[in-house]
Amino acid sequence: MLLEESVGIVGWGVYIPRWRLSLREIVDVWGFSPEQPKELGVSEKSVAGIDEDAVTMGIEAARNALLRAGISPGEIGAVWFGTESKPYAVKPSATIVAEAIGATPYAMATDWEFACRAASEAIRTSIGVVASGLVKYTLVIGSDTAQANPGDVLEFTASSAATALIIGNREESAAYFEASATYITDTPDFWRRDYSKYPLHGEAFTGEPAYFKHIIGAVKTLFEKTGLKPSDFDYVVFHQPNGIFPLKVAQMLGFPREKVLPGLLTPIIGNSYNSSALIGFARVLEIAKPGQRILLAPFGSGAGSDAFSVIVTDKVKEKIYKAPTVEDYLKRKHLINYSLYAKYRKLVYRVE
Amino acid sequence: MRISIPPSWRTRVHRYRLVATRCKKCGTVLYPPASICRHCGFRDVEQIELVNEKARLITWTIIYSAMEGFEERRPVVIGIVETLNSRVKIMAPLTDILPDELKIGMLMEPVIRRVREEGEAGLIYYGVAYRPVLVNESSGTS
Repeated sequence: MLLEESVGIVGWGVYIPRWRLSLREIVDVWGFSPEQPKELGVSEKSVAGIDEDAVTMGIEAARNALLRAGISPGEIGAVWFGTESKPYAVKPSATIVAEAIGATPYAMATDWEFACRAASEAIRTSIGVVASGLVKYTLVIGSDTAQANPGDVLEFTASSAATALIIGNREESAAYFEASATYITDTPDFWRRDYSKYPLHGEAFTGEPAYFKHIIGAVKTLFEKTGLKPSDFDYVVFHQPNGIFPLKVAQMLGFPREKVLPGLLTPIIGNSYNSSALIGFARVLEIAKPGQRILLAPFGSGAGSDAFSVIVTDKVKEKIYKAPTVEDYLKRKHLINYSLYAKYRKLVYRVE
Repeated sequence: MRISIPPSWRTRVHRYRLVATRCKKCGTVLYPPASICRHCGFRDVEQIELVNEKARLITWTIIYSAMEGFEERRPVVIGIVETLNSRVKIMAPLTDILPDELKIGMLMEPVIRRVREEGEAGLIYYGVAYRPVLVNESSGTS
């Protein structure tokens, strides 16, 4: 029995802002080819409002996860916040979330940084600290108001959302971890330096040497450790930088697209960076049946990927409707124009 | 607009979790929290949180000439809501709603938002705003 099997997901929660931008607006403003959104496999993206940031979104996702977990916030031993859009460069987001949900003062609390994969590493670390008995529960949040240089192709997908997981003992869990693996290298596919407002990306590096190599590396390592193969999984959720890459990596690994599509949300809400794979995973949890096996493989630039094999338990059904579902947030949608999006995401500046 | 650190720090838990007090004698809920019941004068109260309680919109105002520091948020919508169970009235910003969607009696719920901030370099002041409920009671979710 692997160490992972004693640990599971006790509660999950998501948040998606109400505001959406049709990618046609970006085509019109920046003069891209009208075919660009189709080539990326994305039609709309979610946009955080003027009063929202990674912290406010993370708090709502965390509160939803607490409702499903049905535990006291004081039992949470670590609040780990994965983001690349911290409201403060120096001052933890995790302590604001911990205070807002009532998990202070005895919990560990830290912001994690690894591009889109920070929260994923916090999940793998959670397995270790829960299995060892160091803490009873951890709260892992992936939350981003994703940044992109206006007019850059990245702007088509950079969106806003949050997902929170409460990780604890398998017996209380809606799904438990069966095995996990990590694959990392130093790869310059995407970065942002201290004084740069927006990230840059090494065009040719984003696909083969980064996304595909690392996800395939993590998933194949998981297969080697467990003897599992693609046909053993009912659903598969990869990091979703666009609507095309997850389907392509699935094909390369031998998964049919039908196993990817239920958890593929980027085509309708964009890439929410640290929440990208996790919100797809949350959606799958809300439709999966007990006993089904899910492969979750987030990715982060710089670069690395984790692969988790997760088995759904019979507790999943009783937890789903204790908090708003992914579908509830998807339905709450209002399209805005580029001007309003630019104001909400602070792409226009006023002199104070 | 300058945000004073001490009061911001002292009130953080009250803001994040909508802390109120309830009189142990007559049950009246006091918001903002008070140590003496405003209804019966009893001095023994307990602390409660209203953060999971829905509310009805009683009234609102739409501010087009926003004060300094709030220009980006125009039009600023401020409402008074009454919580469903504890029956307290709370004045707060309304969010995730367009002016023409506002209706007296609509069901609202509290969320944490950036209420104000001190320019690009200063503190961010998080607090409660109310938005239309995400999920109606009839659908079985809270």
